[in-house]
Amino acid sequence: MDPAAASPVPALAPAVEEPISAISVLDTLGAEVLAVMSPVSICMALVVLLISLLSPPSSGSAAASPPPVTAATLVYLESPNDSPGQKFLGALLDAAVFVVLVAAVTFVLVALYYYRCTGFLKNYMRFSAFFVIFSMGGAILTAVLRRLAAPLDAPTALLLLFNGAAVGVLSVFASAVPILVRQGYMVALAVIVAAWLSRLPEWTTWIMLVALAVYDLVAVLAPRGPLRMLVELASSRDDELPALVYESRPTVGPATSSSSYASAMGSVEMQTMTDSGQISGNRYDRVEQEEDASPAVVEMRDLRRGRSEMNRSRGSVLQMENLEREVSVTSAELTANQGGSSQHAVIQIEQPGEEETSPLVSAASTNNAALDEEHRQSSSSEPLDFEMFESTRGIKLGLGDFVFYSVLVGRAAMYDLMTVYACYLAIIAGLGCTLILLSICQHALPALPISIMLGVTFYFLTRLLMEPFVVGASTNLVMF
Amino acid sequence: MTLAAGLGYALIALGPAFSLFAGVVARKPFLVLTLLSSTLFWLISLIVLSGIWRGFLPIKSEAWWAYAILILTSVALQEGTRLVFWRLYKKMEEMLDAFADRISKPRLSLTDKMLISLAGGLGHGVAHAVFFCLSLLTPAFGRATFYIETCSKMPFFLASALIALGFLVIHTFSMIIAFNAYDERKKSDQVFVPVIHLAAAVMTLVNLAPGGCLIGTPLLLVMAALTLQHCWRVACQRLTEHRHQQHNSN
Repeated sequence: MDPAAASPVPALAPAVEEPISAISVLDTLGAEVLAVMSPVSICMALVVLLISLLSPPSSGSAAASPPPVTAATLVYLESPNDSPGQKFLGALLDAAVFVVLVAAVTFVLVALYYYRCTGFLKNYMRFSAFFVIFSMGGAILTAVLRRLAAPLDAPTALLLLFNGAAVGVLSVFASAVPILVRQGYMVALAVIVAAWLSRLPEWTTWIMLVALAVYDLVAVLAPRGPLRMLVELASSRDDELPALVYESRPTVGPATSSSSYASAMGSVEMQTMTDSGQISGNRYDRVEQEEDASPAVVEMRDLRRGRSEMNRSRGSVLQMENLEREVSVTSAELTANQGGSSQHAVIQIEQPGEEETSPLVSAASTNNAALDEEHRQSSSSEPLDFEMFESTRGIKLGLGDFVFYSVLVGRAAMYDLMTVYACYLAIIAGLGCTLILLSICQHALPALPISIMLGVTFYFLTRLLMEPFVVGASTNLVMF
Repeated sequence: MTLAAGLGYALIALGPAFSLFAGVVARKPFLVLTLLSSTLFWLISLIVLSGIWRGFLPIKSEAWWAYAILILTSVALQEGTRLVFWRLYKKMEEMLDAFADRISKPRLSLTDKMLISLAGGLGHGVAHAVFFCLSLLTPAFGRATFYIETCSKMPFFLASALIALGFLVIHTFSMIIAFNAYDERKKSDQVFVPVIHLAAAVMTLVNLAPGGCLIGTPLLLVMAALTLQHCWRVACQRLTEHRHQQHNSN
């Protein structure tokens, strides 16, 4: 931090930095961004695969069986014979009803949270996770098995499903479950819900996506937006809240399924936040222990503490991050100590590095840096510095984001592969923009608007402009 | 069998790209991001191009001159995209270096820069292969195959996979050549890249002639091999120079 303190260090610096310096900036930079993007990509890829696998047979039968009645088609059910004007109006109505429902349910959840009915919320989410995996996942599994003509007897299937769903319910809320398992279940939930939602009629899907993006924007950014209130409540209550925020995500997924609750899905947002209280408690303990271990740490911690106090006044979201940082500093330092260099020196070295990093890199990546385990399955949980903290501050991406990105890509998959790639790229680009904004604003941001707008724009551009052009050229084997 | 055929075509077109991705790019997150953004860049350039040409479609397959104009405009636009990409990359390199200084890590080395240009080129190449070949490949997974009139000796999918492979190699490695040339201000290489791109694109015009694909496709692959060889030379030269410099400075 202050240059004077840092100046005596150089002699020792090489010893400490040596192992690190072999690694260039390229190796580490952006890992956090990818940690968000790769699960989203996996989720979208799975949905596209599922849809292209299931669509051939269902296209025949779909004509016979009407699309399911869900919250999104309460008012108007699209039929191929309607005129575009009718479809448009109907879809608009559907989307409006859907968004209103979503908003209402979100408000109810916020109210429940406000009055501290955490137990009820948790159980409700457990139930919906179970419901999604067991019944909707079961239906999809049946369809896949039928499509592949793979025979499987009912008892076995039921047993497998039940076990799968049970583990899913546990993994969604218990912090003892390995991150990978939890992340895997999160993606699975999103895939199931998205596959289900992509059965909506075409016009309704598009308008609903746009409406949800707008809703998301309002709900997260407007002063009295429900999601914003939720996040603020959570951060004001400190440890308890993050837990709720975290848990509210899954709701999102499951809620979709049951028509009336579909609303919860709206709670899509991204935030840099920390997780549940107990874990942060652990973290404190841990830090304490480490203090015992090395006197050097104490200094550092004090510095940090000053900072986090400051942050607390600003909004406690950041605070955890600081803790986190603290911890990582400690760990870095401890390892360094093992390396045999003197503790004091190490701290001084590490500290400036850390400090600098936060504002700067963070701009691009620190926030991201947080690979939170919870929602995201990013396989890269290693950066979490230490065995013990599995959970840390992180970018949280609501399950709803996963779902609606995948719905968009799945809808594109019903047209052509070309539109799928275009939409995928657009969504990822939008996610990247949102992450950059997130690192600038430092508070919860809606993840849907930019991505969905870009995705929809690219879909129609690709479909209307590019496809005839590219197909015309490449079927003549003229390429460039 | 049908699945095997479809996968085979896909691997012909994208196999090298996949191994490059898995072996080099995927290990460094930053390269993955570079690849994604360059893919997006190429997609945008293609959309702009098709927006311009949308009014003139469909082009009759006899009108080869129309295709010639189309190829000219598209190559010009894509080379323009490359320049824009280079400018952006330059800015980013400064930021990366500043950042590296700040966290007291070494600045980008020569190989790092080359890796970035490789990832950028791979993005262009993959986007090309995906949009021109892979997206039309879905029917190849079905039971039949497809021949176009002017190319009755080779299935359409095979021809387009081979062409996509050629362009993938050209796009990927000409990006390395181009970045090196811009960096060193070497005029000859700066010209070499658009010329080889244009030449390769013109080769595909041969496919319009009846039976032309038997000549055009191998020619295109020769161009790809040329690019690869040139890139190899450039990279070797650059690396040995670099090593000498380092040696001298030490």
